[in-house]
Amino acid sequence: MQTIENLKVKEKVYIEKLENGLTVMVIPKKDTLKKYLIWGTKYGSIDSEFIVPGEKEKTKVPMGVAHFLEHKMFEQENGTNSLDVLTSLGVDANAYTSNDHTAYLFECTENFYEAMDELMDYVQHPYFTDENVEKEKGIIGQEIKMYDDYPEWRVYYNTLTAMYYNNPIKLDTAGTIESISEINKDILYRCYNTFYHPSNMVLVVCGDFEPKKMFEEVKKRLVQKSNVGEIVRLYPEEPKEIVKEKIEQKLEVSQPLFTIGIKDIPENCNIENKNIMVKKQIAIEILLNLIIGRSSELYQKLYQNGILYSQPSLEYEFSNTYAHVLITAQSNEPEDVYQKVKAEIRHLQTEGISEKDFLRIRKMIYGGYIREYNDVGDIARMFLADSMKGINSFDYLEEIEGINIEYLKQVLNEVFKEDKMVLSIVKN
Amino acid sequence: MEYIEKELKEGIKIHQIKTNKFKTNLMAIFLTTSLNRETVTKNALISSVLRRGTKNMPTQECISKELEEMYGGAFDCGLDKSGDNQVLKFYLETINDNFLPQSGENMWKKTIEKLLEIVFNPLVENGAFKEEYVNQEKENVKLRIESKIDNKAKYALDRCIEEMYKGQPFGLYKFGYTEDLENIDSKNLYQTYKNLIDNCKIDIFVSGILDDNLEQYILENEELQKLKPRKPDYNIAKIISKKAEKENSVAESMDVSQGKLVLGLDLDVGEEEARYHALLYNSILGGSANSKLFQNVREKAHLAYVASSSYIRYKNNIFVNCGIEIENYDKALNLIKEQIENMKKGNFTDKEIENAKKGIISGIQAIEDEQDTQIVYYYGQELSQNKMSVSEYKEKVMQVSKENILSIANKVTIDTIYFLKN
Repeated sequence: MQTIENLKVKEKVYIEKLENGLTVMVIPKKDTLKKYLIWGTKYGSIDSEFIVPGEKEKTKVPMGVAHFLEHKMFEQENGTNSLDVLTSLGVDANAYTSNDHTAYLFECTENFYEAMDELMDYVQHPYFTDENVEKEKGIIGQEIKMYDDYPEWRVYYNTLTAMYYNNPIKLDTAGTIESISEINKDILYRCYNTFYHPSNMVLVVCGDFEPKKMFEEVKKRLVQKSNVGEIVRLYPEEPKEIVKEKIEQKLEVSQPLFTIGIKDIPENCNIENKNIMVKKQIAIEILLNLIIGRSSELYQKLYQNGILYSQPSLEYEFSNTYAHVLITAQSNEPEDVYQKVKAEIRHLQTEGISEKDFLRIRKMIYGGYIREYNDVGDIARMFLADSMKGINSFDYLEEIEGINIEYLKQVLNEVFKEDKMVLSIVKN
Repeated sequence: MEYIEKELKEGIKIHQIKTNKFKTNLMAIFLTTSLNRETVTKNALISSVLRRGTKNMPTQECISKELEEMYGGAFDCGLDKSGDNQVLKFYLETINDNFLPQSGENMWKKTIEKLLEIVFNPLVENGAFKEEYVNQEKENVKLRIESKIDNKAKYALDRCIEEMYKGQPFGLYKFGYTEDLENIDSKNLYQTYKNLIDNCKIDIFVSGILDDNLEQYILENEELQKLKPRKPDYNIAKIISKKAEKENSVAESMDVSQGKLVLGLDLDVGEEEARYHALLYNSILGGSANSKLFQNVREKAHLAYVASSSYIRYKNNIFVNCGIEIENYDKALNLIKEQIENMKKGNFTDKEIENAKKGIISGIQAIEDEQDTQIVYYYGQELSQNKMSVSEYKEKVMQVSKENILSIANKVTIDTIYFLKN
């Protein structure tokens, strides 16, 4: 058992890698009634081509399988649905699929161990039939259509389409009505058997628990599985260049919604490289705030001129195979904002970064990290998502003080390049 | 956890929630005033103008920089419709001193000063708000009002409420109306603000690891000392019984790929206790993954991904929400009505009741683990003048019987059916 303590936020994480390869993390929260368990597998919407351990030929599956599998995991052979069972226990259960992982979770104040029984049981016992797979196509079809009506969702995927030639990140997590029509129970079993092996999974628990006891509780509920080799994930070659600079879609919105994307070169995501990833992400967060954050000159000017009326959302998404910056907002003049962001980046690149501004923004980012530790659910989800990239969430608090202006300048020049920028707009 | 409530002056209350569960200090100021057509837009605009500048922090840039220096103090202002009240909410969340990289900061003192300053000491020029700010924020509010079409599901719900409460305060859109903006200027807006501050109900919440001097920081604050006692102008949230005379159907078109169906239900019950019964009824009808709607509309008929209902306790209404294929309208509507009818016939089991109770109680128990939820919980009690501890609340839910729920089921009428299609 490994114990990592962070003295700033005053929390500890206990980590154990079990014999079958499963990583378990416990973050104890004394005197908290809420409890949270999340079990994730490193298998997301981008993993549609791979070599199953022990095989030679590659397997290619339709887009949307990871998400489809997530939906179908709840169905049990005895005719029950685990979501119903968990709900009957009074726990709030859910699941989600992201680009790089799928997770099953519940939050509760009571009946924790009963819920843990059910969750660990259903994740380890898939039950797919032709009939139950068919029926799910109707429900997921409506989920896809719901997202079609979300302008935020459209502008996001269009940005990725403008940036990426081949990387599957640009495809909708849920797939399309056509792609899911090809899914059958054999494909689901094949993906399940490949990716739902303990060695590809991480389980995180947060709440008022004794870590050693929790590790035992997890072990007790594990089904024996033989060790398997490494999954080889195949991702298509991705050029460094963007596909096209501009992309537009028509949707009924009150005001155009836009995203400025900047395509970056992904770092190798592994434990050895984690400090670089963490530092780079912090630096990009600081830079984005210096460029167009709430107190920035550019944002203030755009706000006063009525071009922006709320602060853009600023993000950096990355994995082994993709990395990009996203700046999203609503404006009647997206093109104007785009040009001004470019100009501001050039300005910072040539004129340099003010020490005072940098220190202030760094303080703000620090506060943001501390704030993540208020809620058991936020904590558990954060530790899980970061662990999928080989990062321990405390690393952000450890690395932030070491970020200096020199490093910021380096990242500003390496990442914020004009020829890597795209503009995606959704408007009437 | 300890909760201390104190009346500072008539109509002005300080609520202290002492808890060591959080890394953050959370302060909230709620200004509650009765909702009406004359002031709805002005009040929405006031909340926008206040965050633009104060006497001592005259620009937004200045406010932002001050807050960033406070380790990213998170300021937020919101507007809510709570029953027939409009509530202007202002929050400031900062990191507690215990979790700062260096000691010597007094984050609570700064938090209290800054938030009180933003709400009660705005930038005033010649007896008016700064004209530039008012003009810019008018644009901003206009855009916000227009953006109500962007979230189609939310829009469908808002439209359903508007139809149900035509000509009544609760039917008003909380951000107001674009046509009102023309006649608002920095002078008359400032007068409305003065009037609001002098007459509204004021609740100040502080939650977190509270130091002993905290109450003193609040009491000594000049802005607060200037406030006068008042008989606050707001509506106490009491349960009101309603019965729909006939079903009103409204269909509208917009560029959507999925139809959004909303049903507004009336409850013909007036006793306070009925709130708990309605809570249970709603949970069984559409409040969880075990509910009638989720099971029948989604899982069995595969007509929807979202099929749920929610209970608006301030108005004693239930709203059913579904996202469906447009051509499935009749099928889905019939299926929803069938669930409502089944409830009337008592087609729900003790097991379903027990499950619903577990779900609700789990939510109640989590209140103390969520800083903002806890504030909203105490505010809700304040507004309905019905003080109850979390454990008393739990007890009320536990006591609800099948007969109670059945009696609610038979007092449910469909008031409005709203459908957004293409």
